[in-house]
Amino acid sequence: MSDLTTKLDDLHRRFSAALTAAEDERALEQARVDYLGRSGEVTQVRRAIGQLPPPERPAAGKTINAAVASMEAELEAAQSRLSQRAFDADLAQRIDVTFPAISPRTGAINPVRRITEDVASYFTRHGFAVVLGPEVEPDYYNFDALNIPADHPAREGFDSFWLTETLLLRPHTSPMQIRTMQQHRPPVAILAPGKCYRRDAVDARHLFQFHQIEGLLVAQDVHFGHLKGMLTGMCRALFGSGQNVRFRPSFFPFTEPSAEVDTTCPRCKGLASQCGMCGGSGWIELGGSGMVHPNVLREVGYDPDVYAGWAFGFGVERLGLIRYEIDDIRRYIDSDPDFLRQLA
Amino acid sequence: MKVPLAWLRQYVDLPHDTDDIAQRLAMLGFPVEDIERRPAITGVLVGRILTLEKHPNADRLQVGTIDVGNQKPLTIATAATNVAAGQVIPVATIGARLPQLTIEPRKMRGIASEGMMVSADELALPPEWFEDGILQLEPAAVLGENVVTAYGLDGDVLDVEVTSNRVDAMCVIGLARELAASYGLPLRLPPAGNPGTAIEPSGAEPFVELASPDCTRFVAQRFDGIAVGPAPAWMRMRLALAGQRPINNLVDVSNYVMLETGQPLHFYDADKIQNNRLIVRDGGDGEKVVTLDGAERTLSPQSLVIADERQTLCIAGVMGAAAGEVTASTTAIVLEAANFSGARVRRTSKALGLRSEASSRHEKTLAPAVTDLGAARAAHLLVELGATAYRPHAFGAPVMPQPPIVLALRDVERLLGWQLPAERVASHLRALGCAVESIETITYGPSLQVTPPLWRRDLSIAADVVEEIARMEGYDNVPSVVPSVAPHDVSSAQFQLENRLAHEVAALGYYEIVSYSLGGRRYADSVEVLDPLSEDQRYLRDSLLPAAMAYFADYDAPVRIFEIGHVFRSEEGHIVESAVLSFGFTADPSDEPAWHDARFLQLKGDCEALLRAITGRQPQSVRSAREGFHPGKFAAAIVDGQEVAHFGRLDPRSTAAAKVRLPAYACTVMLERLPDYAIPHYVAPAKYPSTYRDLALVVPLEETAAELERTIAETIGALCTGVRVFDEYRGPQVGDGQKSLAVRITLQRFDTTITDEEADAAIERVLVALRDRGAVIRQ
Ligand SMILES: [Zn+2]
Repeated sequence: MSDLTTKLDDLHRRFSAALTAAEDERALEQARVDYLGRSGEVTQVRRAIGQLPPPERPAAGKTINAAVASMEAELEAAQSRLSQRAFDADLAQRIDVTFPAISPRTGAINPVRRITEDVASYFTRHGFAVVLGPEVEPDYYNFDALNIPADHPAREGFDSFWLTETLLLRPHTSPMQIRTMQQHRPPVAILAPGKCYRRDAVDARHLFQFHQIEGLLVAQDVHFGHLKGMLTGMCRALFGSGQNVRFRPSFFPFTEPSAEVDTTCPRCKGLASQCGMCGGSGWIELGGSGMVHPNVLREVGYDPDVYAGWAFGFGVERLGLIRYEIDDIRRYIDSDPDFLRQLA
Repeated sequence: MKVPLAWLRQYVDLPHDTDDIAQRLAMLGFPVEDIERRPAITGVLVGRILTLEKHPNADRLQVGTIDVGNQKPLTIATAATNVAAGQVIPVATIGARLPQLTIEPRKMRGIASEGMMVSADELALPPEWFEDGILQLEPAAVLGENVVTAYGLDGDVLDVEVTSNRVDAMCVIGLARELAASYGLPLRLPPAGNPGTAIEPSGAEPFVELASPDCTRFVAQRFDGIAVGPAPAWMRMRLALAGQRPINNLVDVSNYVMLETGQPLHFYDADKIQNNRLIVRDGGDGEKVVTLDGAERTLSPQSLVIADERQTLCIAGVMGAAAGEVTASTTAIVLEAANFSGARVRRTSKALGLRSEASSRHEKTLAPAVTDLGAARAAHLLVELGATAYRPHAFGAPVMPQPPIVLALRDVERLLGWQLPAERVASHLRALGCAVESIETITYGPSLQVTPPLWRRDLSIAADVVEEIARMEGYDNVPSVVPSVAPHDVSSAQFQLENRLAHEVAALGYYEIVSYSLGGRRYADSVEVLDPLSEDQRYLRDSLLPAAMAYFADYDAPVRIFEIGHVFRSEEGHIVESAVLSFGFTADPSDEPAWHDARFLQLKGDCEALLRAITGRQPQSVRSAREGFHPGKFAAAIVDGQEVAHFGRLDPRSTAAAKVRLPAYACTVMLERLPDYAIPHYVAPAKYPSTYRDLALVVPLEETAAELERTIAETIGALCTGVRVFDEYRGPQVGDGQKSLAVRITLQRFDTTITDEEADAAIERVLVALRDRGAVIRQ
């Protein structure tokens, strides 16, 4: 019996030493196999029980089991010590978190689309639909139906690219007003974004191809104040919550009364007399608007004594120049990767 | 239009602050583009040269004594050569401040000079428009008066933009009228009664025959005693401030009256009009006329002219002709103040390529009533210059007010959202010169009957009057109200589709560009612009790819871009326009074997992922061919039997020609062919585990992955839940005409766990089936 105890003690001591010496999981596993494994030393000691006189065997079994339990507990402690050490080593690492990031593959929509979507999301929230249309349009939709008959001087303001005697690249998105009103009875509440073309010499402020976004609301009881309300909301959605809108009288053949729309200069908020964006006036011009001319309503079969409406048309690139403080409108058509990434 | 504030102030007592006036004009619909701030000039007085002598000590100097009113005459030395005793001139006295200098007492070669004789330049007027040397004031000027205030040189100059419908406001009186109405101030008009009362000598009475309906009114008036020379200084200075170069008294009077009243005038040398008889008629076909600018012009019956019986004397509303020109020897003139059809003047001016201050007003169609005002003002000024005015003769229709407009008061509120009392509305309209009467109509209820003033031709319907009310009330005060829009049935589907596509492609790592729809490349069925800006922009594009290639060439580094736009082609005389999406990329050259192209497969992956997201369906890609693409690296993507997209490597010959250095790949999706989104149905994973078998097969070179997969799946049937070719090899180890494909087949049962025996049996059937296609297991 004391022989067994001596043997176990010795074995246990060597096992503990192996655990202490173990530097990694593999060394621990080796110690487990060597001592507690199927053919390990403990198993050999256990086999020796058979040679003891039967009365001594239960006590010997207990002694061995107790030793094994103690060894297993030590093994577990050693494992936990090792993994603790591994955690400690890992957690002690201090990488340079300011090191440049590994860039994901990114893409982005164009700022023209971003602005169009932002305007659209404001208007659709208020019940407007968004319609798209052809860029090649007959003069009827571009001019005649919009109260600009053949001899009207305003036609010269829309210096257009003609394809045939009657077909041209639309100089504005207003044909979609006529197309939509001819297909639907009022109420009509639409936005019409899209490409337009005018024979302008290209410079920092002009492109011969640009995007316009047109808005039209026709119903009973629609008035000028509703136009201001919607445009104020639109400007706040585009440029920030402090924006206001100012109307100035103007002239367009297809609206009466007509208004130029200005919004608070988003850069100086109307406070800087030396502002380079608004020239110190505090206001930035957005584009034209007004109450739909009765002749236009009549043309699409709406009774102007019953229905009233308003419309506006703004240049999307121009909205972007203001919103992003873009220095030159040609940046859009250059579509340089750096430009697209900055405004993504 | 440049408007000196001093001129405006002559007619209305405007507030002191220039910016306040500019702001007011803008809010009335006349934006001020620019404000020319006049410099501060003080201490310059009207003086008369009493004596003038040569400087005793300097050849180039003269010494004058100058009477400047209530003080001892000043002694002033000058280097100017255009001075003489008796002249009335501006004199800068000691302490005077001029833009460039302050006048101090000084000695000029021994003589104490007590000031300076002043030139136009020193008064900040354009020197090249005035006499060299000292500015000559009119003899009647009041000695000792402050030149700057007396001549309005201290008033800023506004550059005012006037919209084309408001030709009545393209003049000083027009803007003064607007400001007076808006500020609620009285308007003082200049003397406007025609002083011409004398009856012409026998045979000198002008007569005008209106042989064209495009001249509605013609006021003709004869003046004798004309002496052509410089206009008085006040008029020259005022014109110069308004940006108009002074020429001589006659030209200056006609310009002055045009800028003041808006009515262009023309003066004929009375002796050059045969029988004092003018005819307004169509131009002759091919008729040649030399205009006042010395150019010979060719007329057509489209042009409108004023002629006598022999020759054309003026192109109506555009420019005079040399044949009737006033010269230095002219002593009698006939004035024309006429009203022409705007469209006719515009056509004439456009056909001749000749625009003038006069035509830019006439082409907007002036009010006929202004002819009389213009003639009367000119007569007044000419008489001041010493001319004899005979009575004016008006030809054409008498001036009539426009028919009254009925304005329903409820329409004011309906259109503006403002409730305004009838009296307030009426007073706004009266301030603008309208005659207003309250009436009650059955259709419109309480209404106003509004007769526009004679000078306004732009007011013809109730909406026009509503705008006037809004202008007077202030557009600033339009309320801001968010409307509630009633339901309607207009669809946003196309817009949503384009945005959805754009976001999906952006999410795949592409940047959206915008390029020109017009290009210089001609296609077989291309659409041509009649009047292109340049040859590079003559044709509408039929593909987005040339622009993408130009971008690739410019950028010259791997880049991923997309664009959504319209493409155009002509089909049996019609223009067909369709929306397409193209995306593509350039990549650095790879070192993979020639028979393999991972970039193509990446492009295909992007195309299929996009189409799945948009259509809800898995597209099929089949080999195809298209000009501009690599013949062996191009495929069409099919959804529901319809080709909705195609993709591939751009033909290296095309990209090389377009100076694209890197391999380029692109995919084009035809938006109109995309089917509606199909809602996918969820398939729950099987409860029982699957197993798989990998096969390495040697197959004929023409075998395709898709066909192999399909054959395997069909052969196994329901047990096969996945089959995917995952590797390819070509080369010496498999021999010519053959290639090796590795395929993984996944097998699974939905009712129980599949056994190895079942799986192996299925693979046996596959091998038999594949043998028929010439495939064998690779050893
Ligand atoms: Zn600003």
